[in-house]
Amino acid sequence: MKSDLTYNDAFSKLEDLVEQLEEGNIPLDKLSIKVKQANELIAICETKLRNIQTEIKDATKTATTRPRGKK
Amino acid sequence: MLAKQKLTDHFLKDKMTEQIKLSELLEQIQDTIQTRFDGEAFWVEAQIMNVRKQAQSRRCYLTLEEYDNGNKTAEARGVFWANYYNQIENFEKVTKQIFKDGINIICKVRVRYHKVYGLNLDIMQIDLAHTLGTLELERQQTLERLVKENPKTIQLFDGVYKTFNNRLPIPLVIGKIALITAPNSDGQRDFQEETKQNKHQYTFSVSEFLTTIQGDNAHKLILDQLKLIEKSKDNFDVVAIVRGGGSQTDFKPFDDYELAKCVANFPIPIFTGIGHDRNQSIVDLMAREQKTPTKVASLFVERNFEFENKLIELKTNLFDLVKEQLENAKKELDNAKRIVKLSSPQAILDRGFAIITCNNKIVVDPKTITVNSQLQTLLKNETIHSTVTKKTKNEKRLDI
Repeated sequence: MKSDLTYNDAFSKLEDLVEQLEEGNIPLDKLSIKVKQANELIAICETKLRNIQTEIKDATKTATTRPRGKK
Repeated sequence: MLAKQKLTDHFLKDKMTEQIKLSELLEQIQDTIQTRFDGEAFWVEAQIMNVRKQAQSRRCYLTLEEYDNGNKTAEARGVFWANYYNQIENFEKVTKQIFKDGINIICKVRVRYHKVYGLNLDIMQIDLAHTLGTLELERQQTLERLVKENPKTIQLFDGVYKTFNNRLPIPLVIGKIALITAPNSDGQRDFQEETKQNKHQYTFSVSEFLTTIQGDNAHKLILDQLKLIEKSKDNFDVVAIVRGGGSQTDFKPFDDYELAKCVANFPIPIFTGIGHDRNQSIVDLMAREQKTPTKVASLFVERNFEFENKLIELKTNLFDLVKEQLENAKKELDNAKRIVKLSSPQAILDRGFAIITCNNKIVVDPKTITVNSQLQTLLKNETIHSTVTKKTKNEKRLDI
């Protein structure tokens, strides 16, 4: 699975897979592959989410500087 | 003989001419004038010139003059004695202009003649309504001319003057100010004090453009300062023109056509605090008026405070929204994880189901199975190997 997917792309693919799983549309012999793909997508999404959280935390620190004109 | 006779005639004639003293003659003039004008007062319209105010002795000497097409047609000396000196003070207070040469007034006078001091008109009252009317007329004419001659940059809507300058957006943050004011004036002090000691502790870079704010040439001097600022316009966020405290007179420079036109077309927002409460000057109307220097400075402080508040609000909203979005994403992901986990073949086996394989392929379609086929039944912990001996169709759907 390509890890250069954006979070939204990865999650969108994951949502498709979940929908198929919920509806029972996946033949049993394809189930293992689909579940494997879903788990990979979950891993990508989790990594990206963690990175986004860290980036936002850093941005929050930067944004505490005062506006121009203030002592 | 003839020459001698002529000389005698001349002598006799001189002898017969009655001689009087100058003082006697002037007394007669004085008496005549007094008889004619005693107790009578007249309202006269004239231009005042050679005004000499003696504030200490509370007297003012001047000449009353009349012109016709630029030619002087009448002149008389006039004087405000101490008991009428308050008329001048009142004039300056009400009309907001200095009592000085060149002003046209209507005044109540008494005629007085003195054999030493000559003819004088004692001024007892000034018709303020006339002066105010004249000033207002001049003001209206200037305003009409501004609108007529600058249709693109000065317009009148519902009694409000919209100019290029007063429609310029005010910067969100004000830091660099060009200040036009009189040196060592109350206006300068008040403005600087407010910008330096504001409650929010904002710092401003104030560049002073000092000039005379009052007097005949003030409008030209202020105009020069504006031109100077315009040359380095990128260095300033706003311009403040302030004067204040003390004198409430001589707002005439701020009604000048050229100055008002320059203000209306100026590329940096101009704020005025020229310290008067009765009327707006024309410059006020062309710019943004704040009445006093302190109010102009306060506006700049409040503008920055407003911006900082907005920023804090946005920051808070942003962080809340981001937090919410991240939490939602996490919930959605957890939900997907749960569903995927439940759907995995291992989870199916864990729940007591079995998977049948034949030749290492999961059997989905029973048609692929025949009698004697070798099958593997995958359970949670064991695999059962078997050979098919019989195949039957289910008579009804299994209810499991």
